[in-house]
Amino acid sequence: MTAIELRNVSRWYGNVVALNDVTMTIGPGVTGLLGPNGAGKSTLLHLVSGFLEPSRGEVTVGGAPSWRNPGVYRRLGLVPERASVYTFLTGQEFVRATARLHQLPDPDRAANRAIGIVEMAEAQHRKISTYSKGMRQRIKVAAALVHDPELLLLDEPFNGMDPRQRLHMMDLLEALGDEGRTILFSSHILEEVERLSGTIQVIVAGRLAASGDFRAIRRLMTSRPHVFLVHTSDDRRIGSALIGSPAVTGVEMTSGGLQVKASDYGAFSRQIAGLTRDQGVQLRALLPEDESLESVFAYLVES
Amino acid sequence: MFSGPGGTVASITLRATMGRKRAFLFGLPALILVLVTVLLKIAHPAASDWPSTILGDFGFTVVLPLTALIIGTSVLGAEIDDGSVVHLLATPVRRSTVILSKFAVGAALTMVFVAVPELVAAVIATGGVTRLAGGLFVGALAGSVIYNAVFVMISVLTTRAIAVGLLYLLVWESLLGNFVSGARILSVGQYSLGIANSIAADSNLNAHLGVVTAVIMGGIVTAATLALAIRRLAAFSLKGDAV
Amino acid sequence: MTAENGALAAPGSGVIHDIGYRHYTGPRLGRAGIVRALVWHSLRSSVGIGRGAKAKIIPVIAFVVMCLPAVANAVSVAQGGHRLVPYDTYLFQLRVLVMIIFVAAQAPELVSRDLRSHVLPLYFSRPLTRLDYPVAKLIAFVLACLALIEIPLLLLYLGTIAQLHGPGAIWDQTRALIPGLLIGLLWAVLLAAIGLALASLSGRRAYATGSIAIYFFLTWILAGLLDSISGGRAHGPLAGAAGPATAGARLSGLVSPFTTLDGVRRWLGGTSRGPIPPPGGYGPLYGVMFLLLLAAALGLLAARYRKAAIS
Repeated sequence: MTAIELRNVSRWYGNVVALNDVTMTIGPGVTGLLGPNGAGKSTLLHLVSGFLEPSRGEVTVGGAPSWRNPGVYRRLGLVPERASVYTFLTGQEFVRATARLHQLPDPDRAANRAIGIVEMAEAQHRKISTYSKGMRQRIKVAAALVHDPELLLLDEPFNGMDPRQRLHMMDLLEALGDEGRTILFSSHILEEVERLSGTIQVIVAGRLAASGDFRAIRRLMTSRPHVFLVHTSDDRRIGSALIGSPAVTGVEMTSGGLQVKASDYGAFSRQIAGLTRDQGVQLRALLPEDESLESVFAYLVES
Repeated sequence: MFSGPGGTVASITLRATMGRKRAFLFGLPALILVLVTVLLKIAHPAASDWPSTILGDFGFTVVLPLTALIIGTSVLGAEIDDGSVVHLLATPVRRSTVILSKFAVGAALTMVFVAVPELVAAVIATGGVTRLAGGLFVGALAGSVIYNAVFVMISVLTTRAIAVGLLYLLVWESLLGNFVSGARILSVGQYSLGIANSIAADSNLNAHLGVVTAVIMGGIVTAATLALAIRRLAAFSLKGDAV
Repeated sequence: MTAENGALAAPGSGVIHDIGYRHYTGPRLGRAGIVRALVWHSLRSSVGIGRGAKAKIIPVIAFVVMCLPAVANAVSVAQGGHRLVPYDTYLFQLRVLVMIIFVAAQAPELVSRDLRSHVLPLYFSRPLTRLDYPVAKLIAFVLACLALIEIPLLLLYLGTIAQLHGPGAIWDQTRALIPGLLIGLLWAVLLAAIGLALASLSGRRAYATGSIAIYFFLTWILAGLLDSISGGRAHGPLAGAAGPATAGARLSGLVSPFTTLDGVRRWLGGTSRGPIPPPGGYGPLYGVMFLLLLAAALGLLAARYRKAAIS
């Protein structure tokens, strides 16, 4: 099966390290590449798609390196994020031209099939300059699918799409993944990746922070220590009561309130209400301090 | 229309290049050339030395290089600039096919926008298809080819291809070519003039190179620049989309 | 309405939390400050400072090439010769070519980039009037061109007086230098204005560079050729035709800004030999042409940025 393999891959530009010693294998099905902006997702996709040379390490697609190897594109389709499409062509001309560039025996039929898959048949005879952003994205996917590749790489495919277009694209990718293709897409939005992929690869600051089944990672994330900001009518009393609880690993008095580190998020949240009631203290606010994706990722990287 | 991937590249390039607003700039220098020729012909009907000056000097120092610059940097440079070249490169098409097809389109367009007007202007100026007219036409054909190879290469190497091309034309060919005779052996303008002169045999053309030198050097430059362009395109990278 | 950090808001209402955002209460510079900053920033980008090494290549090459005659002259004077290069024309063809390259390459850096990245609404949402922006850009670019033209003249001057003795000789040189500096100022103003005006027509630097280059280069060569065709005294294959220049030759300079500038120089009394024959009676025409070109360029710039739909 055509697998994507990265072995100790690093990529740097002068002093800036975009990817740091990443090793991963990507197999059939849908894999999501998750990470905050600037983490290196695009870099990784460009490396896999043969549009960037690794500074160190090896990137292979189906056993062959992707760099300086135009033959790899027979099995690989790329939907880049920022590349503009030829606006003076119609959708159909664009996909058909791509089919010809792939030297397919029947370019017209392949183009029609691909356009049908992305459901752009109605708009295919209009110039791409008249397309909306979502339509342009879909026609790019059609061009990437026209040669029936086993691998499909998508760079932030849902960027700028409205909910309906997003759902449609997700269904499409899910169907393609079920056919046994290897789909790798990048996103910085947790929910998109959650819905679509079984396997995720989490990239933070150039490093591979987590990989594997999404639900397992989710569990790992929820069982990590949480930090809360608690504001009550008597912080000190609550603080001394909380430190006695096994679910709490640390309590700190800050000017904004009581900062509580909880090792067991579930137990803590069950306890806090009863605790304040028993102590006769009024609970005014309970705010999570580190729910952001970045802090989640940071935690994963540190561990 | 065309067959094979090279043909597809060529037809996309043709449509892309002619469809932009830039196409207006292509014809402008040649238009001015023809206009000036017509005006001068009316003012000086007895053809003296001015045809070879205008058509040789103005034509080969300004019209040919500038038009070739605009066209040659257009056929590939614009696509690299907005990233759409990725759609071309993410296919198994050989990089040499891409470069050569685009180069061919550029050279052909330059021939249309320069060599043909040169011929027309020369016929008007000299009153017929003289040796001068024929020489200028052939020289412009050769110049179209060589210049486009150079400028296609420059557009692969840098995003500021027009500025670099201008540097080459103005500093190297114009300035140094007038003062330093050694620079002439590496001047595409001199190759074109040398080839033109071999047919026209007109000293007003100021051709400093013999036809053999011109043809050989022109061929070497064309082959070398295209080879370099192909090598660099094979290592094309998408960098820094750090978002 | 602000609330303490973490306080619960009443259901159904909204609260603005004071999360420590610090309001700026210091002095604000106002319009003059903005224009000054814009001029400084534009000046820096027109010579490539603050943009990385690649942006400096063309300005540096232009400057070095422009200084070459001054250096060559200094060497020759040190060996006992006279000053070779006149102050008011410098080495005309070299100056023309260097200015074409510099203006064509750098004017787009100043204006086309802002158009392409659609940042003009950001500029104009500040106390900056529609005219302030092009004026600031013009001042900056004139200064850059001025440096490129005048510094080599000064180098020429210094290289010459270094070998002279006596205040009389030095004063002679200074008297010759001043008109050269003034002509240089005219050059800088006209070329910067035309360059910026043409560049502001396009957001794509490549188109802008191409248009500027074509306009300057084409008209320059055309002027020279029209001159030599008209039997004028000029370099080129028909050079050497002695005798008074024809009307055609005298007028040929009007087609190009460079020769127009030289015509103005002649009209104002310059005596060094230039690329075209002295305009003689047509001198005022050259003055008018200069003003026309300048007015057209400035008008185009002002009109370009007045459009409310600038995005």
